[in-house]
Amino acid sequence: MMTENSTILSVNDLRISFRTVNGVVQAVRGVSFDLKRGETVAIVGESGSGKSVTMKALMGILPPNAVIEEGSILYNDMDLTKADEKVMHEIRGKRIGLIFQDPLSALNPIMRVGKQITEVLRKRGLSSAEAKERAIELIRAVGIPDPERSYSAYPFQFSGGMRQRVVIAIALAGDPEILICDEPTTALDVTVQAKILDLINQIKEERGLSVIFITHDLGVVANMADRVNVMYAGRIVEAGTAEEIFFEPVHPYTWALLESMPDLQTSGRLQAIPGAPPNMIAPPPGDAFAPRSSYALKIDYEQEPPMFALSDTHIAATWLLHPKAPKLEMPASLKERIARMRKEAEKYV
Amino acid sequence: MKIYDIHQPLPEELSQLPDEKFQVQVREHGFDEIGKSNSAGFYRDALRRLKQNKASVISFWIILTIILLAIIVPNVTGYTYTQQNVSGKNLPPKIPGLERIGIADGTMVLTNRKKDSLSNPKRFPEGSVLAVVKEYKANKVDVVDVKVDYYKYCKIDEGEYHWFGTDYLGRDILTRLFMGARVSLLIAFISVITNVVIGVIYGSVAGYYGGKVDMFLTHFAEVLDGLPYIVVTILFMLLFGSGMFSIILALTVTGWIGTARLTRAQFYRFKGREYVLAARTLGVPDRKLIFRHILPNSIGPLITRAMIAIPGAIFSESFLAYIGLGIKPPEPSIGTLLSVGQSVLLQYPYQTLFPAVLISVLMVAFNLFSNGLRDAMDPTLRGEEG
Amino acid sequence: MFKYILGRIGAMLLTLFLVMTLSFWIIRLMPMSIFENPEVSPEIQKKLEDRMHLHEPMAVQYFYFIEGIAVRGDFGTSVKIRPGLDVFEILSTRIPATVVLNAFSLILSIPLGILFGSWAALKRNKWADNIISFWIVICISVPSFVFASLLQYFLTFVWPLFPTLYNAQASNFGAQLYSMILPIIALSLNPIASIARYLRGELIETLSSDFMLLARTKGLTQGEATMKHAFRNSLVPIANTIIPMITGIMGGSLVIEKMFAVNGMGGLLIDSILAGDHFLTVALLIFYSAISLFTILVVDISYGIIDPRIRVGGRA
Repeated sequence: MMTENSTILSVNDLRISFRTVNGVVQAVRGVSFDLKRGETVAIVGESGSGKSVTMKALMGILPPNAVIEEGSILYNDMDLTKADEKVMHEIRGKRIGLIFQDPLSALNPIMRVGKQITEVLRKRGLSSAEAKERAIELIRAVGIPDPERSYSAYPFQFSGGMRQRVVIAIALAGDPEILICDEPTTALDVTVQAKILDLINQIKEERGLSVIFITHDLGVVANMADRVNVMYAGRIVEAGTAEEIFFEPVHPYTWALLESMPDLQTSGRLQAIPGAPPNMIAPPPGDAFAPRSSYALKIDYEQEPPMFALSDTHIAATWLLHPKAPKLEMPASLKERIARMRKEAEKYV
Repeated sequence: MKIYDIHQPLPEELSQLPDEKFQVQVREHGFDEIGKSNSAGFYRDALRRLKQNKASVISFWIILTIILLAIIVPNVTGYTYTQQNVSGKNLPPKIPGLERIGIADGTMVLTNRKKDSLSNPKRFPEGSVLAVVKEYKANKVDVVDVKVDYYKYCKIDEGEYHWFGTDYLGRDILTRLFMGARVSLLIAFISVITNVVIGVIYGSVAGYYGGKVDMFLTHFAEVLDGLPYIVVTILFMLLFGSGMFSIILALTVTGWIGTARLTRAQFYRFKGREYVLAARTLGVPDRKLIFRHILPNSIGPLITRAMIAIPGAIFSESFLAYIGLGIKPPEPSIGTLLSVGQSVLLQYPYQTLFPAVLISVLMVAFNLFSNGLRDAMDPTLRGEEG
Repeated sequence: MFKYILGRIGAMLLTLFLVMTLSFWIIRLMPMSIFENPEVSPEIQKKLEDRMHLHEPMAVQYFYFIEGIAVRGDFGTSVKIRPGLDVFEILSTRIPATVVLNAFSLILSIPLGILFGSWAALKRNKWADNIISFWIVICISVPSFVFASLLQYFLTFVWPLFPTLYNAQASNFGAQLYSMILPIIALSLNPIASIARYLRGELIETLSSDFMLLARTKGLTQGEATMKHAFRNSLVPIANTIIPMITGIMGGSLVIEKMFAVNGMGGLLIDSILAGDHFLTVALLIFYSAISLFTILVVDISYGIIDPRIRVGGRA
């Protein structure tokens, strides 16, 4: 029997590359993380860090030119990287649901919303009347007003936030146990973002879902995730509980991400991360973030940093944790910020 | 994956790393060039992508070859394109060299000739009869199908060659064909260039000024665009009369609209950009803004559009020739040659064959080349997530 | 939706009106006016002068011209082809053949184009796609009259499988249709290729769209997702090719009719252009415009019905 805290999904040393005209793109270079039952794990990184590719691998919807070079994705002791289309078909929708970044393009523009939901239900053997009833229930559950009328509306008649609710309803229709959210709020207004995040949290509690939350915005993660994986250039550079990542970050990239996070109290300018992620056809040796980092060591350009463990849950791949490294500290402004965040957090506890 | 607890001693290969490797070494922002992109680089990239497309490269050389042939051939065949020869009408192709292996050897099968006439040197000159293909009776008279050396049959001088044969007036088809290609290509290029110029000006004005000017101009173009292309072209050809200039004019009546629409869209895209706004606040005059800042960004799509329009213009020219509104005889064009050839298709198929092959090759080459150009200019079309 | 249809009909009428206006000015401005042409008999000239109200000012003439066509269906009188005969009478006998030829070509092109286009898209970069794509380039590039010559030479002369010319007097409809097969094929190759090319591109794009991913992540098989989502969605924008295609087919049929001696409007138009029978030419052109604009209207409206963004959203 599964216990409450058992691991439901485990990604081990996953390596994925793409064959393109310009060469082999090493999109994911050894990613490992676990998802435990009932928890939310966030994967954070800039675009091109490999987070979306990882997600597609979980769903078995990698484009044809992608190759899983190594590693495994274990779901209920089954390796999804080796599963054939028939097995994946059983898993998609019914076991693992997906919420997309852009709700406008994720919905079929010329199919009624209700039909797009019942399609899933009919596949599960419901009669058309049952499916309709269930679909309206789902539309209500995700907080769309006037469910009966919305059932027969077209996507273009909804606002962005409402469309995302439709997408969530579709994901829930299959009654999955894992929900993958791929930047679910990026395309939405800030005010709508919060509502969608609340909705995801709410349905997660109600249905006991395990959630993988993919985003480039650490700010969005703060109130959502139990654990956070920070990805850069196809690797996880730092991972830990939300508290560890937000209050005790050690990797310069995590520092940079935290600094670039919008925050009402920050008086100074937001610090954008200089430069662009590396070309993944020929990733730089050593620490891929070094060329953009203000804390790079000589060795960062030569040798890949090993993964250091700071606690049972907190790991980071940076040479700064090596005993011989100079004791470099995070920027003072970030320190202040973290102190502020701690205070904020304590209010709610 | 191996994980090293920082509270435990590290294994030797990590703890023995030399101290100097742990000096801070921040790279001076060497990443600046990544974000930048300049238009010269863009065109270089486009050219590189174009070169990778084999079909486009081959098409480019084919087009160039045909253009060169159109310039050279009419001057070197030894015939002029209007030179008639009453005794050498409808001569089949005869090419030095090839004639020995039985292709384009100037022979032809004459059907239903009286058998007696074969021995009449006035009808069949010495050595013209090569073989009797079939003997039969028609109206109780012995008749034959006979293969003849048609050049000898027509008493053409030894050593006279018409590579692609001659037409119903004894004019050399090779000369006329490439003269025609010259005319057709000229019509295509001039009309497309005219269309681009008009379209760019019209679209620039609409796109730059916006507001009521734009609304009026766009509506006008839209109404004009609703007119059936063929009907408009025919009506204007009727008005202008046939001839090269008329064709170019007729193809221009509605031909510029697409370019105008494209240019207008480009303007709307670029005029909000910071550098244009900045130039504007600095008091740069409108004309300079258009030519220095906005138009250069539209060159790629404009070139692509123009290339795509060229085969269309070649087609239109030959289409007009077919319905009797083309180039005035005796001036040739690919279209007039085709339509003349078509009228004797079953008797002298080669008169259709050569212009048909030329126009087909030209159209395929232009289409492939412009497709390649479009893909090269717009890499997002094939952009795949990486 | 109602507003959308009304808008389309309005646009069509405006365009037709423009064609008539253009026709009027071209008849009046044409070099070598038919009204002083010595080859035209005095009675006919008198008839035409009355018809055109030549003694009135230009603006009134213009009004009568439009009114004649729009209200009384009076297109004028033939001068050369069938001197003295009412243009509309000559023309009306020629409409059926053209309509049949064009309709068959359209009916053949759409499903075949869709078939080849989706086949190529689903087998992207496989040999089937390569062969189809190659043929698409050929069929789009080579003009229909070149295909017509090829077909005529090889399939009626070298291997006489079909009659060389259209046989309007054939004993039964079957034989008549049989003699129309080659012109229909010649006319259809280009539109088939256009549709196939467009659908291929559209389908490839749709297949890689987010909602296809969603369709698959919600548990549809690739096949189901393709049928239910990709296919239907790609068909909607095909209207964009069908409309230029209609004008293309109609234009092509001008020449093809002449080549295969189909007694339609195309052959008549060429004859009347060559003979300088301007009233007949103009009448034919107005009819061509009317038929093609009407077909476009039908396509537009039916797509308004298919695409909910137009139907429900009222976007014109």
